[in-house]
Amino acid sequence: MHGSAGLLVLVAFAQAAWMLGWIDPGFTSWRPTLYAYVLWCVCLCTGQVLLKGEHGKRLVFVLPAALFTVAMVVFPLVFGLTIAFTDWNLASLQGGHFNGLGNIRQMWEDPFFWNALTNMIWYSLAIIIEYGIAFGLAILLNGQIRARKFFRVAFLMPLMLSPVAVSWMVGKSMLEARFGPIARLVRWLGWENPSFFGTPEIARAMIMMMDAWTFIPFMMIMILAGLQAIPRELNEAAYVDGATPWQNFWKITFPLMLPVSITAIMIRIIFKLKLADIIINVTSGGPGGATDSVTSFIFREYRDRSNVGYGTLLAMVYLVLIIIAMTVLMKFADRWTNPKYQR
Amino acid sequence: MKADIYEMLVRNGLNRRSVLKGTASTSALALLGSTGIGRAARAQDDIRAQILQIPGVGAGTPTDADWQKVGELCLGGTRQTVEDGEFAGVELKFMGLNNQNQHNVIFRGMLKAWEKYTGAKIEWIDLAQADYNARLQQSIATGTVDFDILEMGAPFEGDVCGRGLASEVPDWVKELIDMDDYVDYLKAPVGTWKGKTYRISIDGDCHTFSYRTDYFANPEFKDAWAAEGHEGEFAPPGTWQQVQEISKFLAGKTDPLSGLPAHGYLDPLKGWGGFGFYFLESRATAYAKYPGDPAWLFDPETMKPRVNNPAFVRAIQDVLDIMPDQPADQINADPGTTGFQQFLAGTGSMLSWWGDIGSNARTSDSSVVGDVVAFRILPGSDDVYNSNTGEWEQTYNEAPNMAYIGWGVYVMSTVEGDEQKKKAAWSAAAHLGGKDLSLWLSAYPSGFQPYRNSHFQYDEWEAAGYDRAYIEDYLGSNLDSYNHPNAAIEPRIPGIFQYYSVAEDELAKGYAGQYGSAQETADAIAAAWEKITDQIGREQQIALYKESLGL
Repeated sequence: MHGSAGLLVLVAFAQAAWMLGWIDPGFTSWRPTLYAYVLWCVCLCTGQVLLKGEHGKRLVFVLPAALFTVAMVVFPLVFGLTIAFTDWNLASLQGGHFNGLGNIRQMWEDPFFWNALTNMIWYSLAIIIEYGIAFGLAILLNGQIRARKFFRVAFLMPLMLSPVAVSWMVGKSMLEARFGPIARLVRWLGWENPSFFGTPEIARAMIMMMDAWTFIPFMMIMILAGLQAIPRELNEAAYVDGATPWQNFWKITFPLMLPVSITAIMIRIIFKLKLADIIINVTSGGPGGATDSVTSFIFREYRDRSNVGYGTLLAMVYLVLIIIAMTVLMKFADRWTNPKYQR
Repeated sequence: MKADIYEMLVRNGLNRRSVLKGTASTSALALLGSTGIGRAARAQDDIRAQILQIPGVGAGTPTDADWQKVGELCLGGTRQTVEDGEFAGVELKFMGLNNQNQHNVIFRGMLKAWEKYTGAKIEWIDLAQADYNARLQQSIATGTVDFDILEMGAPFEGDVCGRGLASEVPDWVKELIDMDDYVDYLKAPVGTWKGKTYRISIDGDCHTFSYRTDYFANPEFKDAWAAEGHEGEFAPPGTWQQVQEISKFLAGKTDPLSGLPAHGYLDPLKGWGGFGFYFLESRATAYAKYPGDPAWLFDPETMKPRVNNPAFVRAIQDVLDIMPDQPADQINADPGTTGFQQFLAGTGSMLSWWGDIGSNARTSDSSVVGDVVAFRILPGSDDVYNSNTGEWEQTYNEAPNMAYIGWGVYVMSTVEGDEQKKKAAWSAAAHLGGKDLSLWLSAYPSGFQPYRNSHFQYDEWEAAGYDRAYIEDYLGSNLDSYNHPNAAIEPRIPGIFQYYSVAEDELAKGYAGQYGSAQETADAIAAAWEKITDQIGREQQIALYKESLGL
């Protein structure tokens, strides 16, 4: 077993050495490493079964999951890491070359990447407002209002549209500067030459609004489900005790909704971190990169500039930042919702 | 025609248009002679006349039924070379553009009858304009060419043919589609690599200048122009200096057609997958393309970019100067928007675009300017920058931008191991690049402009429903550009669209005020270009650039 594992390491090392230009072992892609890995797994399983009998068969059951994990997670990650430190540009006939910390240096000096990262923070902070609106709508739809079912479906409609459709329908049609109905309305209201995506601040706000319009229903439906799970007796008892509607909400409903709220917000953050489609379709990151999210920035680095090496490095850095940020957030969320931290 | 003979004729009183028209007529006559006159030729003429009536100018935008009809009528070449059902069981993948509901969308209809007759099946890979470059570049770089037929522009030939990814055009195809009929600038070396021909041209491609005649005939504008003390009459501009002056003059006035705000020249300020850079080029060529020097984007000895020289900086500054006078939200207008959603829909009075805007103006339902639009070659300049001396020279200069050198159909080397598949692929390509079918594509909205000498027989267009003056003007602007002795031909070097993509990205930042000046914007582009050249390999790029310029 150790011998075959050693063989795998040796092949992987040989491949790395070839990629760095130290040696020329005669193969030209990552495939030998993968083949060696599969071979190693087969040898290992066969050996285990032969040597350890029934006990060794356990490994055979683990093998599919292990192969899947390696193929879908470990391999892309390792492959990505090797590319992230090259200057690979798709037009280059020679492919990529290891360029050390060149891409990190470039990232550090790239104001447009930092701008995209800052935008990402603003876009994410907008979730607080989205949450407030979603909570309000959920309370409204949880009450005894007329045509409640109709409104529930109506408010859910935006969620059924893909962000690409929203970007065309809202960004390209309704907000179109000359003939779009919203443009006509604001012109009538006195804004002579409306330009919804012409200045950075307004363009960013518009992106946030389109994204919010699409996903507020998602938060709303989660909160609505949470509200319906709260026993009605709790609120009724509070009213009998003389609590005002505000006290009823703030002391009973809101605390009970905290776990659902945290879950909704966390999922929404995950959606938000991927925000790219609306930006790419409507502004292409413009004007001048002002509305770029990190994802749209990376996408354009790949698509428009064919900078595979630099783009991959940015993706890796973003992944690390997301992991750190989400770990911290989860920690806080846990503190807010887990009874063991509460007095 | 040699440049000195051409200049002599112009000096002796013939105007540029009449010289070039004469050239076209001569070519057309020569063509008739070479093809032989007889029954076959008359049958051919019948088909040409017949397809040009589908649907007929003024009868609305053509539909899928029209494309199918045209495809079926033009199946003669296929019947000559392929047996009925010969390709049964063959499946081909065709990758191309679906821009503005043209290109692939039309090819589908055009190839329906071909598929039915030959038995082959085509699977389509449609790409938006902004995605085209990335998808193709990725396929090339990763060796994952998953298509058999490719619609591609000549600028990519360095990437594709240079890496042996394309199949050489067989002789029977060359004969079938009559390659000698191409206008001169599309003949070899365009379409060839190391002496082998790889391309069937389906498009011409150059930027021409479109303008609204109702603006320039408007008496109120004429009076206001004089009252404001401008020099000369209010007339279509001949230079970029005049374009700037007119654009500023029109700010705040009312469009005579729509009643909305009037505008001058329309600049696309948003990127378009690299294609947007051509529009800055079209402003810059008159300043930057020095007569006698074929290089204008890079220094041919060092590949040092010229994009930040005073000529290009001036072009960027021109854009910045009239940005406040452009339509609201112009910062988000890409070339497709300026051409189709703005100019054809009645916004703006002047535009640089590919020549096919002329056929769209008269035959597309979305056009409202068909009766008030006219054409000429791109404006010139009162002075020109000489990169070799680093000085501006006070002499009139014009340099039409041969932007993209036309779309072509290429067959990939993936078919090489299968003779039947190879023949099928080339047969499909030949059908699309056929002489008669191409006439229809030139005359109706398709994304393609005239590119064969035989496309310039004005009588045919007139019979289709175009009026003579319009068609002379429209086709003349194309011919004048193609045959111009100082035409700015773009290089066919690997990665050219990465240069363009980076450039339009940096330009977008410059237009949005992210850089301090036009010079800073241009310097950012130049720095990015230098990096790309180093990544691709400077020595190789120098060699290929020189080769593409004929140096």
